[in-house]
Amino acid sequence: MTGTKPAPPHLAARGISKHFGSLKALDDVSIEIVPGAFHALLGENGAGKSTIVKCLMGFHRADAGEMSIDGRHIVIDSPRQARSHGLGMVFQHFTLIPSMTVAENLVLARPGLPLVIDWKAEKKELRAFLEQAPFKVDLEARVDTLAAGQKQKVEILKELYLQTRLLILDEPTSVLTRNEADEVLGYARRLVDRKELSVLLITHKFREVIEYCDEVTVLRRGRLAGAGSTASLSASRMAEMMMGEPRVQKDVNRSGASSARPVLRIEDLRARGDNGLEVLHGVNLTVRGGEIVGIAGVSGNGQKELVEVIAGQRSALSGRITVNGENHLPTRALLRRHGFFTLPEEPLRNAAVPWMSVAENMVFGVFDQKPFQRSGFLLDRAAMDRLARELIARFSVRPPSPNLPMGNLSGGNVQRAILARELSGEVRVLVAANPCFGLDFKAVDFIHDLLLETRNKGAAVLLVSEDLDELLTLSDRIFVMTGGTVAHETTPAEADLTMIGRQMAGHH
Amino acid sequence: MTRAETVIVPLGAMLAGMIVFGAFCAALGVNPLLVYASIWKAGFGSWYSWQNTLVRASPLLLCGLCTAIPAGAGIIVIGNEGAVVVGGLGAIASGLATLSLPPFLSLTTMFLSAAVCGGLWIAFSVALQHYRGVSAVISGLLLNYLAIALMNQLIEGPLRDPSSLDNPASYPLTPDHRLSYFSGTHVHHGLTFGLVACVLAWFLVERTTFGFALKICGGNVRAARLSGLPVGRLVVIAGFLGGACAGVAGMVEVAAVHGRANESLNAGYGYVGILVAFLARQSAFGVVLISLLVGGLLASGGMLQRAHGLPDATIAVLQGILFLFILLSDTVYGRFKLPWAQSHEAKPDAAAA
Amino acid sequence: MQLQPEGLGAWGIAVALAGGAMRGSIPYMFVSLGECLTEKSGKINLGMEGVLLMGAVTAFGVSDLTGSPWLGVLAAAAVGLVLGAIHAWLTQQPAVNDVAAGIAMIIFGSGLAFFFGKRFVAPMAPQLPLVALGEWSRVGAIQSALRISPLFFIGIAVAFLLNWVFTRTSCGLKVRAAGDDPQAARALGIDVNGVRFIAIAMGGALAAVGGAHLTLYFPGIWSEGISGGQGLMAVALVIFARWSPRRCLAAALLFGGAQALGPSLQSLGITGYYYLFNASPYLLTLAVMVATCTPSRRLAGMPGALGKK
Repeated sequence: MTGTKPAPPHLAARGISKHFGSLKALDDVSIEIVPGAFHALLGENGAGKSTIVKCLMGFHRADAGEMSIDGRHIVIDSPRQARSHGLGMVFQHFTLIPSMTVAENLVLARPGLPLVIDWKAEKKELRAFLEQAPFKVDLEARVDTLAAGQKQKVEILKELYLQTRLLILDEPTSVLTRNEADEVLGYARRLVDRKELSVLLITHKFREVIEYCDEVTVLRRGRLAGAGSTASLSASRMAEMMMGEPRVQKDVNRSGASSARPVLRIEDLRARGDNGLEVLHGVNLTVRGGEIVGIAGVSGNGQKELVEVIAGQRSALSGRITVNGENHLPTRALLRRHGFFTLPEEPLRNAAVPWMSVAENMVFGVFDQKPFQRSGFLLDRAAMDRLARELIARFSVRPPSPNLPMGNLSGGNVQRAILARELSGEVRVLVAANPCFGLDFKAVDFIHDLLLETRNKGAAVLLVSEDLDELLTLSDRIFVMTGGTVAHETTPAEADLTMIGRQMAGHH
Repeated sequence: MTRAETVIVPLGAMLAGMIVFGAFCAALGVNPLLVYASIWKAGFGSWYSWQNTLVRASPLLLCGLCTAIPAGAGIIVIGNEGAVVVGGLGAIASGLATLSLPPFLSLTTMFLSAAVCGGLWIAFSVALQHYRGVSAVISGLLLNYLAIALMNQLIEGPLRDPSSLDNPASYPLTPDHRLSYFSGTHVHHGLTFGLVACVLAWFLVERTTFGFALKICGGNVRAARLSGLPVGRLVVIAGFLGGACAGVAGMVEVAAVHGRANESLNAGYGYVGILVAFLARQSAFGVVLISLLVGGLLASGGMLQRAHGLPDATIAVLQGILFLFILLSDTVYGRFKLPWAQSHEAKPDAAAA
Repeated sequence: MQLQPEGLGAWGIAVALAGGAMRGSIPYMFVSLGECLTEKSGKINLGMEGVLLMGAVTAFGVSDLTGSPWLGVLAAAAVGLVLGAIHAWLTQQPAVNDVAAGIAMIIFGSGLAFFFGKRFVAPMAPQLPLVALGEWSRVGAIQSALRISPLFFIGIAVAFLLNWVFTRTSCGLKVRAAGDDPQAARALGIDVNGVRFIAIAMGGALAAVGGAHLTLYFPGIWSEGISGGQGLMAVALVIFARWSPRRCLAAALLFGGAQALGPSLQSLGITGYYYLFNASPYLLTLAVMVATCTPSRRLAGMPGALGKK
C-alpha cells in the first residue's frame, strides 16, 4: 500500500435513460464527476438518484446513453466491472458481518485471500493502511458493538482498502446523528482534499451539500433539474430545483369545519427501528375530528415506523397515543369502539394474507361480528361473499372474483381491496400511509374523493405521504417529518414550497 | 398453485419415491413389483389388512394434528412425542385412581387428563416462543426428553407394578376400564378419537371465527396485529389444542393398546406425526389421507419380512424415501406450465426505481 | 462396564465418574461439533440422529468386514459426508422446510441403519484400540475405568482445529460470514450456498464418527437402541455452548458426565431420581435458554441467518 496511488477517474455519463415497465425512472440524465471532486446528487424520493447510481455501478443496464472514464468510452455490466474501474459504493444498509471484528471484515473483503491467514502480516498491512487514513478505528472491535457512525466509517475504510477511487455514498447519514454525520463526511472531505478520492454523495440534505460538496446535480422525477457548483447556488435555488414550480392547487370539496376536540393525540413517541437504533425521537401530533393532517417528508425519516407503532405492529419505547382521550391499544374492542382504521403502506406485506382469498381478506376487521359470525362462533361464508362482491363492485377491484387468492392481484388492485376493507365502515379515525402509491390517475382521484368524504363526515385523518402534491391537495394542515420528529406546521394555502423543501432537507 | 398441481405433484412425488425404493429392492435381489404387491396386500388388500392399517393410522391422526393445528397459526411444533408421553402418564394416573368408578367415568377422566396434560405441555413450548423468543423447535426437543425422563421415573417409581420384573411397567388397568374395540375387529376406538379430532379440527379452522383468526395469525402476523387480534392468546390456545390431541394419543396407547404405561409409550409416533402434518400441508383433511397411507406402509412391515425376507426397517427406509421426495416436490409447484390447467396469474406492476 | 466401587471410597467414585464422563462425552462431542459447523454456516440440521445411527452401523459393518476398526471410522465419516450432502442439497431447494427435512432424514437414516444392522450376524466387531490412562493404579477397577477410546482425544483435537479454522482460515471466515449475514456475504462475493453445502456435509461426517464410537467401543455390539438421543440433543448442546467449538467440548463433557452420574449414584445405593438426574442437562439447557432469550434480541453468539432462509 505504499507508493503513489492512481488518481481518481474522470467519470462522465451522458443521456442516460432507464425505464422499468411503464415507469420511466430516468430520462436523458447526464452527470460528470471530475477527479478530486466532492459531488452531490440531490433530489426527492423517486427522483431517480438510486437508479442512476445503480446504472453507474453495473447493477442495472441503462436503456440509452453512454459512459466514459478518463475520456474512454466504457460499458459497465456488473458490479465487479465497476470495481475494476475504481468505482465503489457504500449502501444504505451495512454490508459488514456483525459478529466479526473490523480486521476480519476488511481482510475478508480482500480479493486473493490465502487459505491460511497470516494474521501477523495482515494486521501489519492493515495498521500501515490505517496510518495513512486520517481516521483510526479499533481493528479488534466486533462490528455489532460499533455505533452506526463507526460502522459507516468502516464501510468507507473497506472501500479504500479495496482501492476504490470514486466512492459513491448512498444517503450515508440517514442512520447517523448530526455529530456522526459530520465526522463521516469530514473524513471523506479530507480524503478528497488529498486528491486520493472523488466522492459522489447521494443526499436530500442541503446542509451536507453546502458544507461538504463542491458541485451538485439535482434530479427531479427522473430528469435533470439543474447542476452547478455549490458556491454559486443558494439553498433556496436548490430547493426550487428539487421541488419544481409552485403547483396549482386542485379544487377540492372541503365541507364542514373541523371540530376543536382532538381525536388522535400522539405525545412524545419514541421507538426503535429494525436496526435497533432509535428512529422516532419524540413525535408530537394532534389530529382533530373533521380534518386531514398530512405528514410530508422524505422516506426514511421515521414515517414507516410511526404508522407501524400506531397500527400495533411495532412497540414504542415511551410516549403515549390516545384516541378520544383513551389510551390506544390495538385491540379489536378499542378499534371498533373508536371507529379506528389503518391503511399501511405495502398492503400485501402489512395488511393482507396473500394466500387467503380476496373475500376473506376483506373481512379481517369484521368477521367476528354479525352477520359474519353466527351463533356466536360460526363463520358465515355466504355473508362474506356478499360483502366482498359489493365492495369489489364499489371499489372496482380487478379481476372481480372474490375467491381469488389476494396475492394473485396486481399491486394496484390489492391496494383497492384493502381500501375497500378499511374505508367502507364507519370511519371515525383513519391513519393512511401512501394510499395511492402505484395507482393510475382514475384510482388516485377515486381515493382522494373517498378520503375527503371521510373527512367531511367528521373523521380525524392522518395522512402520511411521500407525494407532496397529494398532501397539498388534501390536507387541512401539513407537517414535515424529518429525523424522527415532526416539525414545521403549515397549511396548503400558506405553504412555501421552498421552505418545505428545506425542512425536508433538514435545513431549518 | 393450481388445482391440478395439488393432486399431480404429490402423486408424482410418491411415484418417484416408489421407483427409487424399487431400485433399492432390486439391488438387494428382491423383485420390486412383488414388493409393491405385498405392500398393497398387507396394507389395503383385505378387510384384515385394512384393520391393521387403521390401527396403525390412529395415533398418527392425533399426532399429526399436534403439529398441524399450531402450524396453521404460524408456529412449528415438534414436541409431539413429549405430549404423547405426558398425556399417557396423565391417563394412567387418573385411570388407576378411578378404577372404582364405572368404566365410562373412568375413561372420560383419563381422556380429559390426557388432553389437559398434553395440551399444557405444548402450550408451554408455544408460550416460550411467543413471549420469550425461545424457539419452539428447541424447547420441544428438550421437553421431549424431560417427558421421557419423567415417564421412566414414574414407571419405575410410584406407579411401578412389582410383578412386572424385566419390563418395568405401571399397574395395569382392569380389562373393563380399557378402550373397547369395534365389534368383530381388532380396531380400537382410538381410531374414533382420531377421526373425530380431524373432523373437529377441520371444522374449527374452516367454519368458525376462531379458526379464521388462527389462519390470519398464521398467514401474516402483521395483518393480524393490524386487525387488533390477540396474537399471543390465539397461538397459545392453538398449541394447547394440538397438544391435547397428542395427549389423547398417549391415552389411547395406555387404555387401548397396552392397558398400562410402559416404555413403549415412547414409540416414536410423535416424530412420524410431524412428518404427516408437513406432508398433509398442515390440513386436517390431508392428515387423514396421509395417516392412512403411512398406516398402510407400517402395517406391511410384517408381510415384507415373511414373504421376502426383508427386515422391518425396510418400511422405515421406504417412509424416509417417500418423505424426502414429497418434501422436495414442494419446489415443483409453479415450475411447469400445464396447458390445460389455467392459473390466474396477474401481471406484476412495474418495478419502482 | 459396571464398576464396583466398594472399598474404593470417594476417590474411586470420582475416577469412575471421570471415566464415564470421558466415554459418554464422545458421541456428544462429535455430533455437537458437526452441528456447530453446520449452524455456523447458517443452517440447522435436525437429522443428525439418523447420521449418528448410520455412522454406528457403517463403522460396525466395515470393521467387521475388514478387521480394521479405523477403516470403520473412515467409512462412517464418508457415509456421514454423503448424508450431510443430501441434507444440504435438500434444504437449499426453495420451499423446503428445514425442520421437516431434518425429521425426514432421521427417519430415512435410522431406517437405513436398522435395515443394514439386521444383516450383521457377528455379535461384536473389532474394536478401536484403547488408550490406557489408568496404569498408574494397582486397582483393576480404576484401570478399566480409565481405558479411554482414542476418539476422545481426536474429538478434543477436532474442537481446537475447528476453532482454529473459524479464526485463522479464509474458509472459516467465509463460513461465519455466510451464517451471520448471507446478504452481506454475497455482496463480498462469497458463494453462500456452496459454503453451506460443504459445511453441512462435513458436519455430517463428524456426527457419523460420533456414531462410530458407539459400536467400536465396549461392549461393541450393534443394537437398535444404541443411540441415547445424542443426535437430537446436539442441537440443544450447540445452543448451550453458544456456537463455540471449545465450549461444545466442555458441554459434551458435562452432558456425558451427567449420563455417567446416574449409574455411579446407583452403584452407591442412591437409586431415587435416577432418570431425573439423567435429564438434568436438558433441564439446564432449557433454563438457560428461558433466562437469556428475549423476543427482540438474539442469543449472543447465534449466527444471524439461523432460522431465516
